[in-house]
Amino acid sequence: MTPAIRTEKLGKVYRSGFWRIPYTGLADLDLEVPEGTSFGFIGPNGAGKTTTIKTLMSLQKATSGRAWIHGVPVPDPESRRRVGFLPERPYFYEHLTAYEFLDFYGRLADVPSAERKARINVLLERVDLGRFRDVPLGKYSKGMLQRAGLAQTLIGDPSLLVLDEPMSGLDPLGRVLVRDLILEEKRNGRTVFFSSHVLADVEAICDRVAMVVGGKLRGQGTVPELLGSTVAHVDIVVAGVDEVDGRLLAVRGGRLARRLAPDAVDAFLDAARAAGAGIVSVVPAQRTLENVLLDEVERARPVNAKRLGVLA
Amino acid sequence: MSQILAVATNTFREAVRDKVLHSILFFAALLLMVSLAMQEITIGDQAKVVRGVALGGISLMGAIIAIFLGVGLVWKEIEKKTIYTLASKPVARWRLLFGKYLGLWLTLAAEVSILTVLYTGIVGSQQGLPSGGVYLAIAMLMLELTLLCAWSTLFSTFAAPTTASAYSLCIYVIGHFTDDLLLFGQRAEDPTFKALCLALYRVLPNLELFNIRAEAVHGIVVPMTEVAWAAAYGLGYTAAVLAVAMMVFQRRDFA
Repeated sequence: MTPAIRTEKLGKVYRSGFWRIPYTGLADLDLEVPEGTSFGFIGPNGAGKTTTIKTLMSLQKATSGRAWIHGVPVPDPESRRRVGFLPERPYFYEHLTAYEFLDFYGRLADVPSAERKARINVLLERVDLGRFRDVPLGKYSKGMLQRAGLAQTLIGDPSLLVLDEPMSGLDPLGRVLVRDLILEEKRNGRTVFFSSHVLADVEAICDRVAMVVGGKLRGQGTVPELLGSTVAHVDIVVAGVDEVDGRLLAVRGGRLARRLAPDAVDAFLDAARAAGAGIVSVVPAQRTLENVLLDEVERARPVNAKRLGVLA
Repeated sequence: MSQILAVATNTFREAVRDKVLHSILFFAALLLMVSLAMQEITIGDQAKVVRGVALGGISLMGAIIAIFLGVGLVWKEIEKKTIYTLASKPVARWRLLFGKYLGLWLTLAAEVSILTVLYTGIVGSQQGLPSGGVYLAIAMLMLELTLLCAWSTLFSTFAAPTTASAYSLCIYVIGHFTDDLLLFGQRAEDPTFKALCLALYRVLPNLELFNIRAEAVHGIVVPMTEVAWAAAYGLGYTAAVLAVAMMVFQRRDFA
């Protein structure tokens, strides 16, 4: 089956200033987003997520490599035929009402008139803007704009949704709405490709994840594949002693707790028992996407990352 | 075509809902009325002076709107980041730009039409129905504005509104003096300067070709061949400027 998105050594070099100093925004990205998946695209700020998305949406030209959407090469307008796109922090025409706005974008997506009307009404109800359909977007709150933006992505009945940071800047209710929408659209058979900082959400709703750091792909696969079976750390709680190994990290209700790297557990337990401590609990913590991402950031720029305290 | 029309409608709608446009239009209407007062302070053929000032007012306000709206045409989309969703639709960029241009043109046509109706009412109430020549002069003005807003559209694809306004204003002013540029070139002695003047004369638009307002005011008949030539020149030149604008827009990155 043709993947929804495929890139081959996709790269983007920006040039800025009078001397046109080059800056690599994205390097040799090989990405494959299978049809029907919910695909999370993660990475720290400035990693190249938005650059990738803008290149896919033909808002920028790649300086190297190639990309296809539904098998159609980017930037052919046909590649965007079955795509709904929500940019980061969306801005829309303030002079248009929600209805006019969706009607405009529906016309651009070649949706026939009758179908357009019906679909706009359904979509406005779905994002809870039915009551505000005749209010100009200029008077909308941020959350309402995001909802209008989400409705806009679905107006052309796309098979692929591309959402850039759809949860950023939203309150918890807004985030639940976006989350539910992604899950529901995935159930409806659409592919959802989205970038996010909220790694817990990505972990919860994505089948597959790709990670970019410093403009380069650092990992791609299902969430379990990326997390691996490794344990991130082990939390141990002991009681009945004042210290083990000469130091303890934290005291919780008369018990002593310590967070350890997996390979230090055995030695610590031996020392604790030798000191006469009772072992209350030993809880291994699975790695989260956050751990994986921070490891990758460290690997990419060990000096800077440590200096900036990213890993603290 | 329906996509181009959708963009044009949106551009037209945006302009019509813009309060600044309303104030310019109000000012233009005021100017038309003031032209009536000109007869009180003029000697000689007062009716001609009124016609001249009124037609000049329509032309000036049309140019202001062509420049003012044109320079923001693409820039505003980029500045307000609406370009992200617009350019990501399955529509070729040249269609988007042409739609935007068409919307601007429709706004100008609507504005000039309103002023023409006002002209007919205000000047007509005093001097009787205007001659056909006046309407021909307004149609020719529309050709001039068609060309002028192609330039301001071109500038808006790469320059910020202030810079683009300055460029457009230059084109407007120089465009009305290209005949002098030719004369200057013909009389210059330095061969480099001569070549430069003549080259500029050929490249820059000759907006005076569309100016038959003096003839209309004085009731002089303009030969149709002259009108046809001006129309062909205006539309051909507009197409060329728009083609360049489309090329620039096509190559732009929206970072």
